[in-house]
Order: sequence, then structure tokens, then C-alpha cells
Amino acid sequence: MSAKHTAAFFRAEGVLVTSGVMQAAMFMAGQRAGMRERALRFGQALASAPVFGLLGQNDRTLGNRVAHLCYRDMSEDRVVVLSEEYVDDVLSEKVLDSGIELMRKAKADGHRVVVLSEGISEIMERMREKWRYVDDLVCNHLEYRGGKATGKLVEPVIGGYEGGKWLTSYAAEHDIDLSRSFAYAGHGPDLLLLSAVGHPCAVNPDFTLRKAAREADWPLMDYKA
Amino acid sequence: MSTQGRLPLSIRETLAGKHILLTGASGFVGKVWLAMVLHHIPQVGRIYILLRGKGRGVKERFEKIVNESPVFKPLHDAHEGRMSEFLSQRVEVVAGDVSQPNMGIEPDTLARLLADVDLVLNCAGLVDFNPDVREALSSNVQGAINVGDFIEASHHAALLHVSTCYVAGHRDGFVPETIVTDRTPNGTSISAEDEYRKLHEIIADVEAENDDPATEATLREDVVRRLAERGHEGDYKRVTDMVTRLKRKRLREMMAKAGTDRAKALGWPNTYTYTKALAEQLLAARADRLRFASFRPAIVESSIDFPFAGWNEGFNTSGPLVYLAGTWFRHVPAAAGNALDVIPVDSVCRMLSIVACALIRGENSQVYQCGSSDRNFLPVDRLTELSALGHRKYLREHGNGALERLILSRWDATAADPEHVLNVTNIRKLMGQVTRYLKHGMPEKIPSELREWADDVSKSTDNGVRKLRQIEEVLELFMPFTYEHFCVFECRAVDRHPVVEPEFRFAPETIEWRSYWLDIHMPGLRRWCFPEYEDKAKETYAPKTPFRLLDAALEPARPSAPVPAREEAG
Repeated sequence: MSAKHTAAFFRAEGVLVTSGVMQAAMFMAGQRAGMRERALRFGQALASAPVFGLLGQNDRTLGNRVAHLCYRDMSEDRVVVLSEEYVDDVLSEKVLDSGIELMRKAKADGHRVVVLSEGISEIMERMREKWRYVDDLVCNHLEYRGGKATGKLVEPVIGGYEGGKWLTSYAAEHDIDLSRSFAYAGHGPDLLLLSAVGHPCAVNPDFTLRKAAREADWPLMDYKA
Repeated sequence: MSTQGRLPLSIRETLAGKHILLTGASGFVGKVWLAMVLHHIPQVGRIYILLRGKGRGVKERFEKIVNESPVFKPLHDAHEGRMSEFLSQRVEVVAGDVSQPNMGIEPDTLARLLADVDLVLNCAGLVDFNPDVREALSSNVQGAINVGDFIEASHHAALLHVSTCYVAGHRDGFVPETIVTDRTPNGTSISAEDEYRKLHEIIADVEAENDDPATEATLREDVVRRLAERGHEGDYKRVTDMVTRLKRKRLREMMAKAGTDRAKALGWPNTYTYTKALAEQLLAARADRLRFASFRPAIVESSIDFPFAGWNEGFNTSGPLVYLAGTWFRHVPAAAGNALDVIPVDSVCRMLSIVACALIRGENSQVYQCGSSDRNFLPVDRLTELSALGHRKYLREHGNGALERLILSRWDATAADPEHVLNVTNIRKLMGQVTRYLKHGMPEKIPSELREWADDVSKSTDNGVRKLRQIEEVLELFMPFTYEHFCVFECRAVDRHPVVEPEFRFAPETIEWRSYWLDIHMPGLRRWCFPEYEDKAKETYAPKTPFRLLDAALEPARPSAPVPAREEAG
């Protein structure tokens, strides 16, 4: 029996917002309680920059792990409150309207709209409230013990090749025909995600994905707003 | 503690037609409970409100409470236009005073109440931590004794006596729901009767010392010398008046100190908890002759939903801690991991209603502790951070100028050792020195603009010193709970009474502290409590149709009933 539904998968970073995990981590680190803690954690967040630079086009998992180390010992209360602040003050200004329009159109066409993000749930759930078209959000989750973040992310960490693996099981669970579905993403590690659907589209792609998209003759989109 | 075989308790059915005598109806808890019961259980019998005052003064005082307190807004809204009729049919205001024999009630009325009343809810009490010990004895101890006498003399009334969790005194660990009658928190053997007598002796000794001619002579010499220093020559009457005032002030200070000293010697942190504990012990000693339950709330704070989210009164309990977290002062004296046992006032009133019904049905335990630490632990360091985050959210939008919006909003308060170099005391002293320098230490020959500037700044720092002094005093009173002791108050006796009506269920475990603190409690404090501390105009409430107590609801007053200053005590 063939699947009845279709979906449109959107990678948030690069497609819907310009700001990524590192900016969020640096914002959070800069708002820690106490100057010493702020300096230390800001340095930790900054350390993820070269990791993303070196490995980001192949696997962003390590970069994500390093960036989120700066959340260590931060209370869940602080993460939640600062996430609200980050979304309202920073991330809302970094939204790509063209991406939102793609989402709106996908919803109007009857697709299930699914957003994948490397961002943490505290931030992305609040962002989701602003995006009216999202049916499902898949994002990273901070690990907490005794109300404090351990600095680790709950497995599986979004950002590597898991996007592609996860897609297959998600499609089966929701009775989705991937061959009639769409995907929009912009990073090298999203190759598996894009190749799993019938209608992939590389949006603002990095070098690796741009090259692969050209070779596979996938549509390419570039927008800055 | 099994509830098996016991039918769930219907608050509505149990209280229907029951007559209740309420003392302390003008206090924080008393008002909310009264409004809640009248709102949810209009079929309740008569509620007798014991208020201090005489004749029409009592009536007017009750009308003022109902017309001006936002607590009664749900009732006004529900019975708009018919509020006077609704309330007058259910409430009778009785002139009296719990600290007086027979609670100061006129004999005919007393006889009627002794026959009618099913339950006495004794919310009366002096809630200041270190008051004049005579007042504490009168309200908290003598008041409880008098209410106990009423119960013994009554035909069928039971007593629900409101105490406090902090009768546990200086101690660590799990505090069970029991009354310890034979020893104090520091292990001293005690007999409540003996201690009651001892307290009277202490008061008599202090009075005698203050009335001693030698004391008066010293004071007189002091007054004459001071007047002479200021170039005044005091006549006899003027000096005598000043000496009398000084003696009165001195007596009050000595009485406050005597109470605190006695409390601390026995293991209680202050006069309030000591006298409340003594009252409990005296009532427990009469347990064979009177049906009673002691109800011990922890730190009563802003309501969750009744009368509306965030209702609060006064500037004590957590208010100063929260206020402090929003200032430039960063180090809140608290030990990480210690509980600050906060419980919303509407949760307290729900549990009061449950225990009231259990008492009426004869199914009660002797002690009910009403707190959150046993069921939904809130550490003081979390509370401090939540307060800092709440101020951050507020100041980012409403701060005065860029300094508050950008810097103060990020100036996070943290729990710190009380001896931290930047503690309140040191900052207050530093500010005091700055004030003194600005007022008296500046060089004589400075430009007039600089002098004016110094005068302006000194006024601000002087005001700051005064406020810090207030905060310091409150923090010191709270230190036993925020820093010195780790206490968890058992709160399980209430589980013996499953309740039918959802609006009366007691469930502190369902409180989500973050949203409570940020979205309910702090906005509540900002709206109802901080203005009082900051000498700003308080938000007032006025119903569309003012409530008037119809004559049938006012009993004749006893002309001799005394009218002491405090409002809470009856």
C-alpha cells in the first residue's frame, strides 16, 4: 500500500534563519551570572568556531557538541529565560522571509511541514510559536541534571548525517511518501536528507552542498532575506 | 495515614449551614479565606467576624475592608448590585478582641455564639517577628488561650488554630507534623504552663526596671544635658514630657529585646515563633477537653488564582529578598540548597477549608503543616536566580534609562555567604560614610554648584541607607531559614482527606516554580507590595456598587471593648 501523505522538510539554519548554533551559544555564554563565568563560557563557545570551520561542511556534530559545552552548570531557569530573550531580541531579526514564504507555500500545497534544527529546544520551540506553519519540530535537547545543564546534548545530536537516517523512520511513522516530498537545506551534512526525498532543493548552500547539488542537478536557491 | 474506606470529603456539603467564627479576618490569610468560602460556598451558615472596635465603628471597618481590598473583587463581580444583601445574609460582625477574656464579646452575643458556632477559625495573631513581647503574648498566647476557653464552653465548636511551620525553631532536617510539648528546639525541658508564667515574670521585671526611680533620674539628667547642649533651658513640664516619652520608647525596646532573648535562649529565632509555639503547647495540654487542630502554614505568598493571580500584601517574607535581587546589591545571604518554604495564599486557604471540614466531621489530625518543601522543593538559591531573571525581564522593558535597561538588568544576584565582603551591612556602612562625608566632610570653600550636588546626592544615599537598614533587618530575621538551617516540613496529614471539589484540592506539587515566580509572584509583588516599601501610591480598588452591611448583620457592641493598635489580632 503506498503512502498517502507528503511532507516538506526544512533545515532551519541557513534556510529559515541566518543565525546558527554558535551565535546562540555565544549569546548565552555572555549572559552567565558573574563576570568570570561569562568570560570562561564565552571562550568555550568561541572555541567551536574553528571546529565548525574545519568540519562543518562534512559533519557538524562535533561543532555542536563543543558549542553547547558553554551551557554547562547553567540552570534550566536561566536557559529558558535567556532563550526567550535570544529569540525576541536576536533570532527574530535573523529570519529569512524567503524561507518562511517557502514554508507557507508548502503548507498551502498540503504538505506536512517539518523543521529540523541544530538549535536547542528552548530556543526553537519559542521560534516555532512564531512560525505558524510548522507541524513538527526536530531539534537538539540539552541534558539536565538536578536542574542544571551538563553541557551535553541528548543523543542523537542533530547536525550530522542523522537527518537522513531519521527521515526514513519519520516517513514510515507518519505514512509519508518521500518520493513526492520536498526538502530544503544548506549544509554538506544534509546531503542524505536531500537525497532521500523526490524534490530536494539546496538553499544558500555551502561549498560541499553546492558542488553536490550541481552534480545531482538539484535546484539551487540563494537568498539573503 | 491511610485514606482507605474513607469517603472523599465534600467541602461544599460539609460547610453548608455550618456557623463559623473567624478571628483575624483583616489579615492576609483571613481575608482570602473569607472571600474564597463566600465565593465558592454561598450555602455556608453564618460567618461571625470578630473585629476590634465599637458599635458602628466595627461595621464601618468591615465595610472598608470589603470595599477597599482587591481580595473581594470576585465577590463584588459575582454579586454586583446585590453584594450588600448577599454578604449581610451570611456575615455577622462581632465586636471583640481575642486577647480579652471571653474574647471581649458582649455577654448576650457570647451566649448565642457558644450555642451556634460549629467551628472557630483563629487566624488572629501578631505576625511581626520581634515585636514588644507584651503584644506578642497578648495576641499570640493569651488570644489562643481565650479562644480555647470559648471552645471548652461552647456546645459543639471545634478550633482550627493557625500557627506557623517555624514553631520548629532552630533545627535542621525533617520536621514532622507533631506538637512537641515537653522540650524546646534546643532541647531544654519545658512546661508550657511554667513558661507562660515565666514570660509574665519577664514582662513584670522589665516594667519594674523601667519604672525604677534610678532609671528615671538617669533619663532626666540626660534630657536636661541634651537640652542644655542645644541652648535650651527646659522647664519641669517639658523635661517630664520628654522623659515620659523616652521611658515609653525604652520600655518598648526592652520588651522587644526581652522577648527575643527569651526566644533565642530556648532555641527559637524570634518572639513570633516562640509565642506561637507556646500557644500550640498550651492548647495541646488541653487536648482532652477541646477539639482542635493546629494549622501551620510556611511562608505564605502570592496567590495562584484566587482572588486572582498574584494577590499579595505587606513587605515581609520573600518580598525583601526579591527586592534586593533587583538592586545593585548582588549577594543575597543564603546557603545553596536550603529550602525557602513558600506556599501561595490560595493553596493555604484551600487546605484551611479541608482541615476545617475534617474537624467538623471529627476526622482530623492534631497538626497540619502547609508548605511546599516536602512535596515540591524550592531551594533558596534557585529562588534568588529566578528573582534576578525576573528583574532582568522587567528592567529590559521598563528600566529607567539605559543604565537600568542594559546594566542593572544583567546585574545578577546570587546566593552568597552572609560574611561576604559586599554584604548588606558593609554596603550600608559604606553608604553611611559617604553620606556623612557629603553632609559634613566636604571642604568649606567649594563652589555652590558642587555643594548643591553633594546635598542632592547625600539625600539619595541617606534614603538608600534607610532602605538598606530595613532590608538588613528582614534578612537577619530570615537568616535562620535561608542560611543557618536546612528544614523540610512534612506536609502529608492533609492527604488523609481526599476532596471532591477540584477548586479546593491542595496540590503544591503541581506548582511550576519558574512560571509561578516569574509570571505570578514577582508581578504581584511589584503591583501590591513594592509600592508600599518605595513610598509610592498603592493601587486602589473600588467596586462599582459599594458594599453596605445591612443592620441585621451587626450585633450590639460591648462598650468596654478595648481597641489596641494592631489589626491582625482579632
